[in-house]
Amino acid sequence: MNDPVVEATDSAPGGDGPSPVSDAPLHPGALLQVRDVSKVYGSGHTAVTALDAATMSVEQGEFVALLGPSGSGKTTLISIIGGLLAATSGTVTVGDVDVTQLSKRDLTRFRAEQVGFVFQSANLVPFLTARENLLYVATLVKTPKKAAQQRADQLLEELGLADRAKNLPEQLSGGERQRVAIGRALMNDPDLVLVDEPTAALDTALGRQVVQLLRREIKDRGKTGIMVTHDLRMVEYTDRVFEILDGHLTHVEEPSALQH
Amino acid sequence: MGLAGAEIRRAKLRFGLLTGAVSLLVFLVLLLSTLSAALVGALVGALEGLRADGLVYADFARDNIAASRMAPDVLDAVAAVPGVGSYGAVGTFTTAAVIDGAQVDVQVFGFDQGAPGAPSGLVDGALPTGPGEAAVDGGGVAIGDVVTLDPAGTELTVVGLLRGAQFNAIPTMYVDSGTYADAFTGTNPGLPFVPINAVAFDVTEGSDPAQVASDITATVPGVTGYTRDEAVSLIPGIESISQSFGILVGLTFVIGIVVIGFFFLILTVQKLKPFTLLRAIGTSTGRLAATVAIQITLVVLIASAIAVGLTLLAVRGLNTGLPVSIEPSLIIGVVVSVWVFSLLAGLLSIRRIARIDPASAVGAR
Ligand SMILES: Nc1ncnc2c1ncn2[C@@H]1O[C@H](COP(=O)(O)OP(=O)(O)OP(=O)(O)O)[C@@H](O)[C@H]1O
Ligand SMILES: [Mg+2]
Repeated sequence: MNDPVVEATDSAPGGDGPSPVSDAPLHPGALLQVRDVSKVYGSGHTAVTALDAATMSVEQGEFVALLGPSGSGKTTLISIIGGLLAATSGTVTVGDVDVTQLSKRDLTRFRAEQVGFVFQSANLVPFLTARENLLYVATLVKTPKKAAQQRADQLLEELGLADRAKNLPEQLSGGERQRVAIGRALMNDPDLVLVDEPTAALDTALGRQVVQLLRREIKDRGKTGIMVTHDLRMVEYTDRVFEILDGHLTHVEEPSALQH
Repeated sequence: MGLAGAEIRRAKLRFGLLTGAVSLLVFLVLLLSTLSAALVGALVGALEGLRADGLVYADFARDNIAASRMAPDVLDAVAAVPGVGSYGAVGTFTTAAVIDGAQVDVQVFGFDQGAPGAPSGLVDGALPTGPGEAAVDGGGVAIGDVVTLDPAGTELTVVGLLRGAQFNAIPTMYVDSGTYADAFTGTNPGLPFVPINAVAFDVTEGSDPAQVASDITATVPGVTGYTRDEAVSLIPGIESISQSFGILVGLTFVIGIVVIGFFFLILTVQKLKPFTLLRAIGTSTGRLAATVAIQITLVVLIASAIAVGLTLLAVRGLNTGLPVSIEPSLIIGVVVSVWVFSLLAGLLSIRRIARIDPASAVGAR
């Protein structure tokens, strides 16, 4: 794989290309509001500032990209948004929930009910079939069995996995696994879909296919999606792009602005 | 949809092997406990089942009924102690006998009709009511069989079958005092009187057997009074037999629990990645812990069922010469304690699960 990180960082700042809006405006009615969120790992002189006063907002129904080189703080940011990681300072609100104020127990429920995650790897429970991986998350929010089964079958159908439903993850290809993970993320009808480098383990063609599917599912269902990537070629499927460099979040209006 | 069951279904071999190992260990615990109860029962069943509140032996017998010898006038001395209600003489000796044409050792007990000292555990027929009748535990006899004591030549007709009434783990025959006297003098000719091994007594209403026993010790010269349970526990050798079996059973039990505890800990550590993922997508620690508890319960229950089956087969198949019977309360006790301690051992796994940081699922490399 060629390294798109170099392209991305080269083209972002300066030049006559796109003009990053460093003070990304907060839209009051947006589904997701991130305000001055910082994250410092460790303390003393080993402290690492992974995120420095990040501010962003994403409207309901938007599918945005979070683009940045390795180690820039992408995973840190979506972990905080998704209630997996506590911010050092700042606030995150999803709808009218202040995620940064939730207790551990409430965070667990928040993740089950409001967030659909697609992780970079190790995405599926290995001893559950594709269909069971979807059905399992429905039990976290006590969806009636019938309804859950219908929804799982429908999602698998849409993701082109109807005939793989009974297969265990180890019997699926990388692309199929990522598609199951997308189905799993959508299963509980979450407000937010957070996707961390969904294409990292896939070749370009397959990666495009998966991201296209992801976009379609998010758009059809009116979900709000954030996709972390360092692959510039994937941003064309998104509505807007946020760039992050050394923990500093900047905002690029149009994905096309990044294309050469 | 249960995580616990799904995982077991997809790892049948693993869980099958564990269940097999646990069932063998539970089987060993059950078999050893059953055998030890049978052995102790066969050694002391006669005293355990003796219908009496207390017993009196000669001082020099050192708690051993077989070594006790008392003259008949001891009965009146015991009867005079306040708190003693009804009482009877008990005699016992070991002799050879011919059963079914084969010579074996048997224990003979003689008791006074209608007085304390009669056996319990009648499973068929009746207790002896007249001369030449016997109720028997062991020796493979049936009602109507005739047993000839040797060398006395006394012929005993079996009228009742007992269970749990053996002494010294040999066939034991209970006869009335007249028959007993005949057999004893036939075996030991030339004695001036038929000695009494023990006085069995019941206390009067409202008296404490322990108090009466110690009063007997204090007031009647040359004898020691015991409550029935004391007499049983003091039988020489019983304690060391119980202890040896107890150690074997305890060790097997502990090994079983450790196997279960570590097996599930290993399973948990191997599953940390999926568990972390499950936590990240909104599974509570409690639910993951419950998964482990359910799996432990399933393994223990299935293993116990197999172990009980094996124990039944073994008890039927093994010929130990002991009257072995399976106690439902023993089985339930063993299974429940294996289960409870296995769950405690499962806390090792649960502690590990509680330490999972769900954030480490993201960008897991
Ligand atoms: N648990 C941690 N403890 C200490 N430092 C951490 C920890 N997690 C991340 N970091 C540091 O924080 C910074 C941002 O990490 P993050 O994982 O968010 O980057 P990323 O943009 O997702 O990178 P990549 O594209 O490689 O996944 C990095 O410098 C990283 O070393
Ligand atoms: Mg990352």
